[in-house]
Amino acid sequence: MTRTAPLLLVIDDDPAIRETLARELTLAGFETLTAGDGEEGKSLFARSDPDLVITDLAMPRADGMSVLAAVRRAGRTPVIILSVRGEEEDKVRALDLGADDYVTKPFSLRELLARVRSHLRRSSLSAVPGMPGGVPVILRFPGLMIDPARRTVTQGDREVRLTPTELAILELLANQAGKPVTLRQIIATVWKGAPATTQDTVRVHVGSLRRKLEPDPAEPRYIGTEPWVGYRFLMEPE
Amino acid sequence: MDVRKAALTWLVSPVAVALLTVVALRAGANAPTAGFLYLVLVLGLATWSGWQAGVVASVTATGCYNFYFLPPLGTLVISDPANWVALFAFLTATIVSSRLVLNARRQAEAADLRRREVEILYELCFSLFAASQRSGGLGEAAARTLGALGARSGMLFLDGPAPVSIVGDMGRPGGEEPAPDEAALAQARTLRSLVVTRDANEVYIPLVVGGALGGILVARGAAASRKILESAGRLLALALERERLLAEATHLEAVRESDALKTSLLRAVSHDLRTPLTAMQLGLEGLGREVAGRPAAEAALREVAREQERLTRRIDNLLSLARLEAGVARPHPEDVAPGALFRAARESLALILAGRPVAVEVARDCPDLWADPSLTLEIVVNLLENAARSAPENGPDASLELAAAADPGADFGGKGRVRLEVRDRGPGVPAAVKRLVQGVGGAGRGAGGEGPGSGDSRSGGLGLRIAASLAAANGGTLFLLDRPGGGSIARLTLPAADLGDLEIPDLETK
Repeated sequence: MTRTAPLLLVIDDDPAIRETLARELTLAGFETLTAGDGEEGKSLFARSDPDLVITDLAMPRADGMSVLAAVRRAGRTPVIILSVRGEEEDKVRALDLGADDYVTKPFSLRELLARVRSHLRRSSLSAVPGMPGGVPVILRFPGLMIDPARRTVTQGDREVRLTPTELAILELLANQAGKPVTLRQIIATVWKGAPATTQDTVRVHVGSLRRKLEPDPAEPRYIGTEPWVGYRFLMEPE
Repeated sequence: MDVRKAALTWLVSPVAVALLTVVALRAGANAPTAGFLYLVLVLGLATWSGWQAGVVASVTATGCYNFYFLPPLGTLVISDPANWVALFAFLTATIVSSRLVLNARRQAEAADLRRREVEILYELCFSLFAASQRSGGLGEAAARTLGALGARSGMLFLDGPAPVSIVGDMGRPGGEEPAPDEAALAQARTLRSLVVTRDANEVYIPLVVGGALGGILVARGAAASRKILESAGRLLALALERERLLAEATHLEAVRESDALKTSLLRAVSHDLRTPLTAMQLGLEGLGREVAGRPAAEAALREVAREQERLTRRIDNLLSLARLEAGVARPHPEDVAPGALFRAARESLALILAGRPVAVEVARDCPDLWADPSLTLEIVVNLLENAARSAPENGPDASLELAAAADPGADFGGKGRVRLEVRDRGPGVPAAVKRLVQGVGGAGRGAGGEGPGSGDSRSGGLGLRIAASLAAANGGTLFLLDRPGGGSIARLTLPAADLGDLEIPDLETK
């Protein structure tokens, strides 16, 4: 089946949000489907195979978590969570369980559209970026080049000397540029879940990585902090 | 009891021996037969009525045996030395066996006493702990204990927040309960051991659980051994402890339930308030596109959007505060870069700050903050919004300043602090607002005096007060100062992150 525009599935129990979102997303050039609760969302997902899912967390009849689980069972379709402040733990849990991103209500349409476009772009790239066929490729960002095979990072024409930990964190974040990566995911990937690793350990290494990489560590250009969640690589690959 | 026992010993035993002698003589028993009969009788008497009766019987029996059965008959003289041996063996056997019987009897009595004691304690235990799940109160427990001890009356003194109070009082009908012996009471309390008054009428039993004195039970006329009194004291102490724990558990359960209720209530409120705000924001953005090119409509829409943003912020503030004050949320500190914080604050106030210059100045050596990122952002946004509202709309005084630097004056146990300042050239801080803020969270007095132009009643009071509360919850302080040259400075001081000093081993190089 070929589509002229990407198909988005919007799941929210509030009709006003659901309808406004559908209207605005349609005007922005997307096709949209809407569901008023998790159950309806799951069955619509199974029937229509959308390109991206936007779902609320707290809903009657199956919540956002169960929608996320169903989508992940079926494949890698990007999922953006609509969360409310005060539900931070749920948000982090959703990201750990495979959600791709979140916006916090009340959010602006501009913000949501930027996230939607970024994740559609990411998912249209083949398989895992940076690892087609298991061979690491060079990651290029404006002013920054990461070569995982040669284990070098170049900024302009200057090589940045990173420790193995810093390089591993940078590769992980850069490979998922634009997507929030939770502290738990960093520990699981970089430290292989070593039990002694705490979130502070991650923060210390990210701190020193920023000092080496960022022109102004107080105003990060590359590695942004996502409060309560973890980090997000801020640049899009070239 | 004693008279009867003496009568048995001194009358019954000789009479029984005499009767046996008569029977034996009539039956024509020989000396060995008579000897066995006497032995059986002596043992019987000793068993039935104690060792005194046994001894009296054995002496009498020895006399009769000698007189009637050992030659020469009819005298208390023994001719054959072999008969002497027989006589003494007989007497010794009598006395030894009666002693054995006596010991067995004593042990039986002791066992019986212990059994009764155990029964008393078991019944007490049952009535205090097992009989009812619902506690009957301290007075009832004390009364049950006194009843089990056979006391006529008694009192319970509790060592608690109220130093001494009488809880249970059995009281004698028609009589006033005499006051307790203060000296004995004090002694029992200090020594934590049983104290018995000289006339043995009153017993002071300390109630000790886990080394702590819970109170003193005074029992009057208790007919129980020291061991029982002490054990009963321990049981009652346990009952007191149980009473206390039950009360605590009930309280904790209530607190837990109320926390769960508060959490779900706040969640529901949060969801219900933010959902329409989200719909409004999305609707406003859609509307913005439709009225594009119509300046009057655009201006009106901008105004609505600004108010919607402000309402959102105020609701966020109030919910944050409610969650903190209800104890269902605690600040979740992370390292926060001041520059990123300032940028996020300016972004969330994009509409309000539109067209207004904001200078940002982060000192080179300024450490990161160690604070809850979201709450800290709320504080700075509130301060910035307040500054924007009090500064003039246009002109050189319209510009605002955001500054971050290490706090020079403070060293909190080796941990540094960061000072964030929001500065404006407005009319200064109204005295009423200053007082409002300084009264929150133990924040001290601001260094500045009463500002000029403090008659301004356009109050940013709520936002500032919330900012001060949130600062206090994050382990920080908020001061409102008058700015030299006019205007005001909101100075927020928060703990600095010192993660950079941690020694963290690096991964192995492959």
